[in-house]
Amino acid sequence: MSSSRDDFGIAFRSALLQRGAAQKFSLVFLIIIAGIIFVLDSYGFGFMKPVRAIINDGIYRVTLVVSSPTRFVPQATGGITNLFNVKKENEKLKKELEVYRQKELNVKFLTNQNKNLRKIIDSEESYLKQENMILSKVLIDKSSPYLKSIIINRGSKSGVLKGMPVMDKDFLIGRVVETNYLSSRVLLLNDLNSRIPVTFGEDGVQAILKGSGGSRPILEYLPEGYIVEEGKDVFTSGKDGIFFPGSPIGITTEKGEVRLYSESSQLSFVKVDLSQKNKEVF
Amino acid sequence: MLHFKTINKIINLGPLVLLYYLSVSEIDSHFENYFEILSFNLQLIIIYFWALKRPEILGSGHVFFAGLINDVVMGFPLCISSLAYLTVSLVATYIKNMTVNTRITTDWFTFFVSIFFSNLIFFILLTNFSEIAINLTEISYNTFFTLIFFPFFWFLFTYYNSIITIGKNV
Repeated sequence: MSSSRDDFGIAFRSALLQRGAAQKFSLVFLIIIAGIIFVLDSYGFGFMKPVRAIINDGIYRVTLVVSSPTRFVPQATGGITNLFNVKKENEKLKKELEVYRQKELNVKFLTNQNKNLRKIIDSEESYLKQENMILSKVLIDKSSPYLKSIIINRGSKSGVLKGMPVMDKDFLIGRVVETNYLSSRVLLLNDLNSRIPVTFGEDGVQAILKGSGGSRPILEYLPEGYIVEEGKDVFTSGKDGIFFPGSPIGITTEKGEVRLYSESSQLSFVKVDLSQKNKEVF
Repeated sequence: MLHFKTINKIINLGPLVLLYYLSVSEIDSHFENYFEILSFNLQLIIIYFWALKRPEILGSGHVFFAGLINDVVMGFPLCISSLAYLTVSLVATYIKNMTVNTRITTDWFTFFVSIFFSNLIFFILLTNFSEIAINLTEISYNTFFTLIFFPFFWFLFTYYNSIITIGKNV
């Protein structure tokens, strides 16, 4: 018994402290260093912010270069794939056409809805009036089961601040959660950590759109007993003072989820709204 | 002879290059865009296998830096992945010290132990020291599929290891 405990102790000590022929550092040394860096970064010590910003900017550029072959291959093979997918695409386009026809018929309804929304938000602001936007390129959109975020090539140098809304065309896709000098991280609406106030339907129902970690965020804090109908347009309510009111986000499903207008995995260029200067603490 | 040595050196760097490439690039080892629940962590498999079989190829310092790069790319607190990766490396080194000859079944089982501790540390640190919320179900799926895919990569890496060994013996 004692011998087996000794064996465990020796093997464990050896694993922690011993350095192999080609090893420059022992595991225990690296674990301690990692622990110190983790604590310094987690507790947000002042000097860590610029250090992290420099590391981030450097690594994001390397990632962009390293990932270029993986972007090129899908582009090169895309033509062949498209050829095989013509029929599928045709069906999809027909369905989309059907949706547009339906939308055309509902113009009157949408006009009324728009009027109602303007009353609800009680503001003359509109996303259409926003001109203070900068276009930025998506550097990295690494998919992960943990976080749904993208890296863009605009940072504090271009006036990007934490909390600023980010759009794809006219659709809201997320907000800036981390800024470096030359790059920023955008938390997407479908991330588990994302929560934004929204409004939808003719009655201007207020709700919180919560990221689910999957492709479709969920509507929460709805009025008691409210049943979500399918096909309602969801807009930002602007109640948080971060997002300007009336930005289109997506369309409701009968499960109480929102099908986003903008596909987060297909982003190439996005717009950051610089007019929203509210800094948010994350 | 010199030419052969250079080729051998490049082949030896294979696992290291792959580990760094997976960490730094936006290549997707999480296939959730195609299959909702399918995602696995290839980095953990690489670290465990090579730390167990040929630690001289995959130094702990490289494991540390790969984790650090991964954290920057993924947006996690710095060194959280390094700690998770080093835990896998620690378990692998311990198993290497305790055993003489291992088979796929024993490696598979001990890999489960290593990813259990690794994910536990990752989860505890992330939930207690960061405001990032993560989905426990997705971590479970990720761990499950990482474990399921281990034998496939075990055979692949064992074959690769045999190529390196042949190169060294000549």
